[in-house]
Amino acid sequence: MNIVLLYLLLLKGTATAFAGLASLPVIQESLVNQYHVLTNEQLNEAVVITRSSPGPVGLWVVSAGYFAAGLPGAIAGWLAMITPALLIIPLVHFVGRKMGHPRVKSILQTIVIASAGLLLAAAIPLGHDGLTGPVTWAIAIVCFILLFTTKLDTLWMILGAALVSLTASSVGLVALL
Amino acid sequence: MKHTATTDDGHRSGTGARSALTVVAAMIRLADIASVFIRYANFTLGGGSATTAVIHGEIVAKRRWVTEEQFALSFALGRLTPGTNVLAFCVGIGWMLRRWPGAVVVLLAASIPCTLIVIVITVLFSKWQENPYAQAAIKGAIAAAVAITVKTVWTIAHPYFTAGNRLRVALVGAAAFILNVLIGLSPIEVLLLAAIVGIFLPEARS
Repeated sequence: MNIVLLYLLLLKGTATAFAGLASLPVIQESLVNQYHVLTNEQLNEAVVITRSSPGPVGLWVVSAGYFAAGLPGAIAGWLAMITPALLIIPLVHFVGRKMGHPRVKSILQTIVIASAGLLLAAAIPLGHDGLTGPVTWAIAIVCFILLFTTKLDTLWMILGAALVSLTASSVGLVALL
Repeated sequence: MKHTATTDDGHRSGTGARSALTVVAAMIRLADIASVFIRYANFTLGGGSATTAVIHGEIVAKRRWVTEEQFALSFALGRLTPGTNVLAFCVGIGWMLRRWPGAVVVLLAASIPCTLIVIVITVLFSKWQENPYAQAAIKGAIAAAVAITVKTVWTIAHPYFTAGNRLRVALVGAAAFILNVLIGLSPIEVLLLAAIVGIFLPEARS
């Protein structure tokens, strides 16, 4: 895939999202469904990698870029991640004149809530790809409960989940994963 | 993912904002700016809030590069900027310190080291996939990631889920989901539609 096009497609995701993973639905639509340069499995892996490494969650587009087109793709991902940050400069200029406007707040709020609904929709194919048997379903449900009930860092959750599935596989339960 | 979406923290009075920007720090060296952001903006686990706290300690309390007001302004506007909030926040600080050169230095300092780490992990990850043990471990990790992705839906929406706003959040969120899954609109189309709906909805409460 052409790197400039990859950058623009990733940028379409990052520039329309207000949180790290909120860019996922737009990127899934372009790169998985439309151009077929990524799979849902790789999207899941990009989330795992970013959650297991330091730095902001928005870094997941760097992994996605790498999976789509190797090192140049990772650089396209980095550029797509950093480009929208420059928009804060005009915001600092206009602050107090435009950003506090109730209409602007209302538009931003509606976009953010819609992006949450879209992320739930994007999670369906991700779940379909990642939850293949009783063990993975159990891991996901337990993690989901822990996320809401504890302050446990997601890194430990990912490592714990990896250990559980590794144990299940080594005692011969591969078919149940 | 703790640095979630926009809130009305960004709503500040024009006077306050302008006075915050009139505080000009002494000429701070770009190398010093780079050093602070390389050390403190890259190595946080668990989202942006911890990073923000560490940077606050370093540039407001310890070095006095910016005022509390400037820091708060950049933080609030970072949340209103698309993309990675914590990066935008850092760029805002860089711009306040040294205008464009400061902004560019901070953008590179706060993003290149953590990007390199992610690239290395991604390369290793691609190599490990041949190993059956690693495959089994990765399956579990992915199951956890699915749960984290679903939980992120709530992380994004919950700041708005306040009394008097719940119906709005539920309706907009459900409509976006249905338009995408059942009607087949693309995510970008749904987001554009959301922006248009936002124009006509009664004033948002946060």
